[in-house]
Amino acid sequence: MLADTLLSGGLEQLSIVARKGALVPLKTKDEVRAALETFEAYILEVPARWAGAVKDAIHAAIPNLKTADFQHLRRVVQFKYLPVHLQKKYRPPHPSRPRGDNVYQESEDAPAEEDDTARYFLISPVSAIAHRVLIDVLLRNSPFGAAPKPPIVLTISVPALAPCSAEQAAQWTLDYWPISYKNTNPFGPHPNLVARNALEIAPNAGSWLALAEEVGRQLYDLNFGEHVGCVIVDKSRGSHEIIAVAGDCRWRSPCAHSFPRDGTGNVMAHSVQRAIAMVAKKRLRAAGRDSEAASPSDIFCENPMTDLERHFYLQENLSTTGYLCVDMDMYVTHEPCVMCSMAILHSRFRRCVFGRRMPLTGGLTADTALQAKREQTIDGSGLGHGIFWRPTELNWKFLAWEWMDEDSTTMTTTISDTRQV
Amino acid sequence: MNAEEKVYHERFMREAISMAELALRTDETPVGCVFVKDGEIIGRGMNATNKTLNGTRHAEFIAIAQILEEHPVTILNETDLYVTVEPCVMCASMLRQYGIKGVYFGCWNERFGGTGGVLNCHSDTSVDKPYPVHGGIFREEAIMLLRKFYVQENDKAPEPKQKKTRELKTEILPMDIHAPKPS
Repeated sequence: MLADTLLSGGLEQLSIVARKGALVPLKTKDEVRAALETFEAYILEVPARWAGAVKDAIHAAIPNLKTADFQHLRRVVQFKYLPVHLQKKYRPPHPSRPRGDNVYQESEDAPAEEDDTARYFLISPVSAIAHRVLIDVLLRNSPFGAAPKPPIVLTISVPALAPCSAEQAAQWTLDYWPISYKNTNPFGPHPNLVARNALEIAPNAGSWLALAEEVGRQLYDLNFGEHVGCVIVDKSRGSHEIIAVAGDCRWRSPCAHSFPRDGTGNVMAHSVQRAIAMVAKKRLRAAGRDSEAASPSDIFCENPMTDLERHFYLQENLSTTGYLCVDMDMYVTHEPCVMCSMAILHSRFRRCVFGRRMPLTGGLTADTALQAKREQTIDGSGLGHGIFWRPTELNWKFLAWEWMDEDSTTMTTTISDTRQV
Repeated sequence: MNAEEKVYHERFMREAISMAELALRTDETPVGCVFVKDGEIIGRGMNATNKTLNGTRHAEFIAIAQILEEHPVTILNETDLYVTVEPCVMCASMLRQYGIKGVYFGCWNERFGGTGGVLNCHSDTSVDKPYPVHGGIFREEAIMLLRKFYVQENDKAPEPKQKKTRELKTEILPMDIHAPKPS
């Protein structure tokens, strides 16, 4: 309710202007790996009617061939489905008899796509059998044994892992070899799921990031912390409920000792940590438990520091049955550090959006910085952790996006690249 | 590690285990730790995720908050951590950002360990100074505490059918080592 009021004028009252831009889904660690990794494989032109026999001969020669490892690569394909660079090598298709090495030459002759009696067979990874042994196997089996010259086995690069989307499968088919796409993403969230969620949060994401920026600025102006902030939103019941708003408090001195500016400050008072702690205190309050008794230390800087933080902290907008930050979304001005990325995961968030990449310290991204493509200066290529989606290793996963401003000049970071957010 | 060093480190790991035992008695995941500077314990902590309803309140966070109430943050540069379970990714990164001197732990955490279990936050690329880690001190005791909690948890589990079938297994580690119970 309150969030709706904020949307219809409140943000302007705080002189908060929503950022204009778009959500770009983060690539998972496995997706990055899948997009880069290739292996060498043998391919062979065979007459269509012999394709089965050749396949049997290969499987007899390599009894432990793990075809499951390259199920995403079509095994036997027609000429017309080959990528153009391979069509050139095999033009014209030579289906009636095995091709000797005298005909292995690139040709600009007219294509013969209508001739459908040649097949192109992906034999195996190069690592599975030596080239010389493979040629021997083929020579011992018809039709190659009767041919005047040994068969030509080409070696090509192919993607090592299954594609993550139909688009990627189509691109790989053009670049490498015909790919089979099973409408799944084995290495990350399904593209449809990501798109549906992005559509749901896109209309307000720029506002929440601007609010995060504002609370960060307020605490920065108080000399409490870096210009970093975050907003926790619960959209699971349709309306937008802003559960917590918190800035950074790493330079604040809650006790006798100050935190020297040449150090890293009070790490546990990063804005993400503070916001998560505020959610927990609101839960304790909703459960009728004494939140002060449960968290005796002011070092955590769990209590609101400004009117803006206090305003949302005092809202009774948490359901009493909830657990941690399940169903909640996290909006942060900058890519969270490894500690905060894992805190978001521990807290079971549903989605996370950050406003700027931190290539030297960020824990969420798995690939090299997108900013590099926009010719911006960056000092690092990212740590590659991709903490948001590593389901075989970590016990929770969430969807994550980075924000790209329409005007890329506003993407310049407000804090040093070496800062942990 | 020579015999003399072993005695030294085991003394503090014993203290960390007693913190974990205290956690077990108070219905928290049995992970305990002590921070040691020049042979003296300057802070103690145990998991407090259930009491605080905050999934980030691990033993290391609790102990460091206590230390920073009394000492300047730079004391951590001369302080070692003894913790019964390998620090998680979050704590491992936090310890590096604070500039911890070194970390000694009991059992590895294959589900979200940050110093070898899953990531290597103590030694991989970072803007912060790396720190040495040494795992396996009283490993069996640390695991046994977690198993006791796992069984105790099951006594309170909502499905009575399941709890009867669960017993003190010897080869299975609980998955959510630090996570608070669903309320």
